[in-house]
Amino acid sequence: MRKLPDGKVSNGKAPIGRLLTQPTLHMTSIRFRFPVFLLLAVAVNTGYAQQAPEGLLWLQKIARSARELNYAGTFVYQHGSQVETSRITHFVDTSGEHEKLEALDGSPREIIRNNDQVMCYFPDAKMVKVDKRSASRTFPALLPEQMKSLADNYQIRIGNQNRIAGHDCRVVILEPKDKLRYGHRFCAATDSGLLLKAKMLNERNDVVEQFAFTQLTIGDEIGREMVESRFDAKSLGWRFDRTAAPEASTDTGWAVSSSPSGFRKIVEMKRTIPGKPGPVAHLVYSDGLAAVSIFIEPVPPNTQFQHGLSQQGAINIYTRRHTDNMVTVLGEAPAETVIQIGNSVAPSK
Amino acid sequence: MDKISALMDGELEEYNARSALASLKSQAELREQWVSFHVIGDVLRQDAEVSVDFSKQFSDWLAKEPTVLAPARRTTATPRRLALSAAASVAAVAMVGWLALSENPLRQPDTLSQPGNLASASPARNAPSLEFETSSAVNDYLLAHQEFSPSTAIQGVAPYVRTVSESR
Repeated sequence: MRKLPDGKVSNGKAPIGRLLTQPTLHMTSIRFRFPVFLLLAVAVNTGYAQQAPEGLLWLQKIARSARELNYAGTFVYQHGSQVETSRITHFVDTSGEHEKLEALDGSPREIIRNNDQVMCYFPDAKMVKVDKRSASRTFPALLPEQMKSLADNYQIRIGNQNRIAGHDCRVVILEPKDKLRYGHRFCAATDSGLLLKAKMLNERNDVVEQFAFTQLTIGDEIGREMVESRFDAKSLGWRFDRTAAPEASTDTGWAVSSSPSGFRKIVEMKRTIPGKPGPVAHLVYSDGLAAVSIFIEPVPPNTQFQHGLSQQGAINIYTRRHTDNMVTVLGEAPAETVIQIGNSVAPSK
Repeated sequence: MDKISALMDGELEEYNARSALASLKSQAELREQWVSFHVIGDVLRQDAEVSVDFSKQFSDWLAKEPTVLAPARRTTATPRRLALSAAASVAAVAMVGWLALSENPLRQPDTLSQPGNLASASPARNAPSLEFETSSAVNDYLLAHQEFSPSTAIQGVAPYVRTVSESR
């Protein structure tokens, strides 16, 4: 339905005045000169510069703007037959990045991120989950090796000019080179690079999940108080589930014997996870965009163990048993990929 | 807000509809709500052409509409209001249609029919019940996973919505 209810078709003019008046991105020049340089070096070395530099540069721009811009907007998240509305606010100051995600539908839930710490507030359950990221893992942007991986596994094309939530945007298409990963269709704001819409597509071109802004403000109006939790004071008496910062790469004693083509191990660690008695082995495989996590822990006592595949949104989850261990594999990848990884998990020695 | 969605669906009695329209006229927040309900459907369905213009036009239209002063005259539906409710119905129907079309066909992954994956085929068919039982335990894993997903790098905290997604 491209026509509006009254039959009028939008004229394609966006209110870009506001975008143009955004504050100078003083962090940009300092933080990203290095990665962009590396990216170019990789592009030249590996010879894919002719095919897709523009697409890759767009992805770099998208990643950068998500980190450095101040913005607030309402977006819809659709997966399967479900549609959820959320509000996101992102604010950067000298102490770093602050981000707030509020669910607008159903029970009120909030996620607050301050640099490497993520806090999920569940007021109904009077519970806060705290996930401490390892600081070194915080992505500054897409890393050069990631960019190479992306170009190896996806055909990256620039599509049409478009418009989302009143902002002009450029379509960037990532077509998977095989069936082991989903396709992506992004629309990034033409001037700022902010991702306005992200669609994940399966091999039949059905939408697996999508995010899309319906309203978005970029720039000056965003303040520090807008990224604070409204449950901050109330949550003092709530239950806090904390995840300790995972140790940097450790040998977990587990490995994937036949990882799907294009997927490489990007991290391996032992970590604590709320609600789990002991440390859990966590390995992550990625093709540059999609990631699949493997969690291995002893089969919890008194647990009805269930072997099989399930889904949560675009995430496929595969659980199996290996001797006395429960192996859970999950990621935003097709079932085949998740199962293949799951079935080839084995002790590395 | 409930009132606004009911208005959009044409479910309000005349009196309530009248007061909802009056609220729309006086409260910018509600107007945004009304517009966003329509825009959500539009944005998800297609790649373009929504709709600051619609928002603006809607405001202009509301501004021209005379304020309803109580007691309301008993009038039959004005053409304008009919048009409005028709527009709302069309949008609602289109939304439902779109939802039905996009039912996730991945629920029965056909990749499992390959001979090499026979072992996994039968558990996969049990997926829906498993999904229901494991979702809270899986959320902790999802939260841990999200940190390392490159999609987080390009979308910021938005993909975390998966970890707090409510199954309805």
